[in-house]
Amino acid sequence: MAMGSIGDTLWDVVICGTGLQQSLLALSLSRSGKNILHIDPNDYYGGAEAAFSLQEAESWVDRLATEDKGLFRSASITKPDVVGLSFPRAYSLALAPQLIHARSELLSQLVSSRAYRQVEFLAVGSFYIFKAPIGPEQQPSLVRIPSTREDVFSTTAISAKAKRGLMKFLRFVLDYDSPEQRDAWKPFADKPLVDFLQEHFKMDTELKTYIITLTLSLDGRINTEDGLFVVHRHLTSMGHFGPGFAALYPKWGGISEIAQVACRAGAVGGAVYMLGAGIKSMDTATDEIELELTSGDKVKTKLLVRGDESVGDEPSISRLVAVVDSPLKILFESTVDGAPTPCVAVVALPPGSLTTPGEANTDPVYVFAHSSGTGECPNGQSVLYLSTMATSNSKEILSRSLESLLFAVDRDQVPQCLYQLYYEQAAGVKQSRHDGLILDLPGPSLSLLMDDASLNHVREAWKKVVGDAVDDAEYMVFTAREPVDDDYDE
Amino acid sequence: MADQGGSNHGIARTSRTRTEEQRQKDLERIKDYRALEDEVRHHAAKNDYSPDVFALTSKLLRLNPEYYTVWNVRRRCLISGLLSKLSPGSSPSKALPTSSPTATTTISSADFSSSLSTETPPAPEFQTTGKSGTTAEEEDEEQTRQQDQQNDQQILQKELHFTIPLLLESPKCYWIWSYRLWILKQVIERLPVPVARNIWEEELGLTSKMLLRDQRNFHAWGYRRHVVEQLESPELEGKSLVESEFEFTTKKISQNLSNFSAWHSRSKLIPRLLDERNANDEARKAFFEEELNKIGEAINVGPDDQSLWYYHQFLMLNLVNSVEHPTIAPAFTQEERVTYLRREIESIQELLEDYDDAKLIYEALFDYTLYLCQLQGREPNEQEEKDLKGWLGNLKKLDPMRSGRWADLERDFGLKE
Repeated sequence: MAMGSIGDTLWDVVICGTGLQQSLLALSLSRSGKNILHIDPNDYYGGAEAAFSLQEAESWVDRLATEDKGLFRSASITKPDVVGLSFPRAYSLALAPQLIHARSELLSQLVSSRAYRQVEFLAVGSFYIFKAPIGPEQQPSLVRIPSTREDVFSTTAISAKAKRGLMKFLRFVLDYDSPEQRDAWKPFADKPLVDFLQEHFKMDTELKTYIITLTLSLDGRINTEDGLFVVHRHLTSMGHFGPGFAALYPKWGGISEIAQVACRAGAVGGAVYMLGAGIKSMDTATDEIELELTSGDKVKTKLLVRGDESVGDEPSISRLVAVVDSPLKILFESTVDGAPTPCVAVVALPPGSLTTPGEANTDPVYVFAHSSGTGECPNGQSVLYLSTMATSNSKEILSRSLESLLFAVDRDQVPQCLYQLYYEQAAGVKQSRHDGLILDLPGPSLSLLMDDASLNHVREAWKKVVGDAVDDAEYMVFTAREPVDDDYDE
Repeated sequence: MADQGGSNHGIARTSRTRTEEQRQKDLERIKDYRALEDEVRHHAAKNDYSPDVFALTSKLLRLNPEYYTVWNVRRRCLISGLLSKLSPGSSPSKALPTSSPTATTTISSADFSSSLSTETPPAPEFQTTGKSGTTAEEEDEEQTRQQDQQNDQQILQKELHFTIPLLLESPKCYWIWSYRLWILKQVIERLPVPVARNIWEEELGLTSKMLLRDQRNFHAWGYRRHVVEQLESPELEGKSLVESEFEFTTKKISQNLSNFSAWHSRSKLIPRLLDERNANDEARKAFFEEELNKIGEAINVGPDDQSLWYYHQFLMLNLVNSVEHPTIAPAFTQEERVTYLRREIESIQELLEDYDDAKLIYEALFDYTLYLCQLQGREPNEQEEKDLKGWLGNLKKLDPMRSGRWADLERDFGLKE
């Protein structure tokens, strides 16, 4: 379709923004035959879940410096005076480095919609707890969190009695949805999981830390109902797609890759894509909206779908993205025979565990370590994504966490930092809003784990577009386009 | 089309509902299959085992590897033409067939090939065998033999390759495994020892891979034992693999504690392992203690796992029944045995603090208390009787389906309330 004629069509949907949710919507509509115009004011795909080259990161930071509203703020880049940083396009830094559990709804949808084949998924390996040194002579260490029975059997870090406690909890969680177990945790549903673990299992601090780390709860206070759900999903995801891992991460920039693949599917389905075009103004009539785009085009549509960019009620997070000059091999060792080499590892620094001089951290700090296998940096380097609750000193906390971690990895040859990107991200709005002809999808999630709940909003939006004539069971279920496609068509 | 007989370890077999189109397709496929089958049987009935028939068996077996008769037809095709003719009693390591019936010189094929390349064929009146001279006739024979071996090697390796995709699809089909074994036997009979050894070592690697895919495939375990046996045999100039096999069970257990076959294999390897290590009394005692600790750690996280309790019982019986069971450490004194048994009973009781509904714990406590009495040649004392009754009570509650068994035990040991 020639560019000049976009003003002639009455579009069924105009989708603004190519963040994950909007892109998944485009994917869901890619066989619907609807006329879709998908625009994005940025000149890159992914929105709040984009992955940046160093160049793009710099432009982004510069742009944020001039805006004072919006979800991202206080962004800055530091380039230490160290040799080794490669050219800008050698890097792909993810703004939303989320892990995806093997049993997550997103993966089922990517499979049923056939979009999964264009994404290369990598295994997420071990979860570690950072342990501060006990005495002045001791070294900080990284302790692997056991999450299978065999892990618990092999680990020497827990006592026999504590192992039994952990096994009892694991048994409980695997069955947590049964009436018997529900009776036990229902009274604690809205209360913090740590309280339930204390009351019901008499768990010590160490074990509680293991469990909370598996939930990746940023404030450590995830409630019992949500917490049990996540731990259950972690445990049942283990081994689901292969031995030794419970979660996946898309190569070449994480969630941004999924957004791009989804948009590509949208385009193949006939949607028109325009980057670098946002909405300048709009004029709502009874059953259509007229939009003036920043490109100068005027388009008419029956429905406009956007991502809500207003700031929500929940707390913000601080994030530090650091490129280091080491492959950090010990973090990415495969522990199970026949398991794929992991490209992502998780390290949690529990409250109070920082070693360097300064105030203790009151919230956990989570570090996602990405090897060059993710395609996000050149060989021989790694990217570390550190996240914590935004507070008055969270920037400093993240900086010291980075130092402590690098020291724990290799005390004798401490890896050097080549590049740092810092920013804060506010929580967005959690609900969709549908006002006649405009549908605003919720703001981007701050969660470190892909959240199934966010997918429901996409489904609802899809329903609004396709209407009641289409069966709900058809959502994200497509047959292969190419004749010789899947090996397993059943 | 081939059905995977037997348990599939929790992987459901899909039942399919068919559309009319699918049904028509199926009817077509059945027709083609029957035609293929008829053709093969037709040729076999005429004793026609030509290469064409061989090709037909390939097609048929790919569709249905469980068709035992067709594997036999394939064997016959190989023997009747594709493989070289084996003269009776010949093998690469044995004497060459010569005109002299008393010739007994054993010459390796390596020696011969070097002698062939440097020496000119001697005059026909030299009829002796040996490194010093060969007849032209024997030289030709040797060349043919070598060619035969190379040809056989190619064919046998191709056959092994042929079975691989079939095995991947039907890993528990007896006929495929038995065909592989037959081929491997041909390898020993027809090929030089280093070549044969290599192929058998690859086979060991294959069983490791199969056991990685399905750790509890008992076919693969039994098969592995057979392969190990062959590799250790004189036919393949073997030496003992017991240490590496023991290590293999350790690896399998660390990957999956519930691996009954691994624990079982381990128990079977221990006597020979300790013998080959020339383990003295101290080493044996240390080994026993290590195994006990290991199984203790396992039961600590897996109290419901039968395979673990079986292994634990195996160790306990080593203490108790020195006559019937080969003991790991026969030098344990009576006192030491009693101490171990008491210690185990105590630590198993500790498990009840956290696992009070694991029936296997109560069974173990019951059994081991009686073992202790047996060891000390006495009847249970008052406290022990109280405990036994209590544990039996728990078992009756936790496992009401076996009430008959618990009633028997009550009666046999005079434990009725």
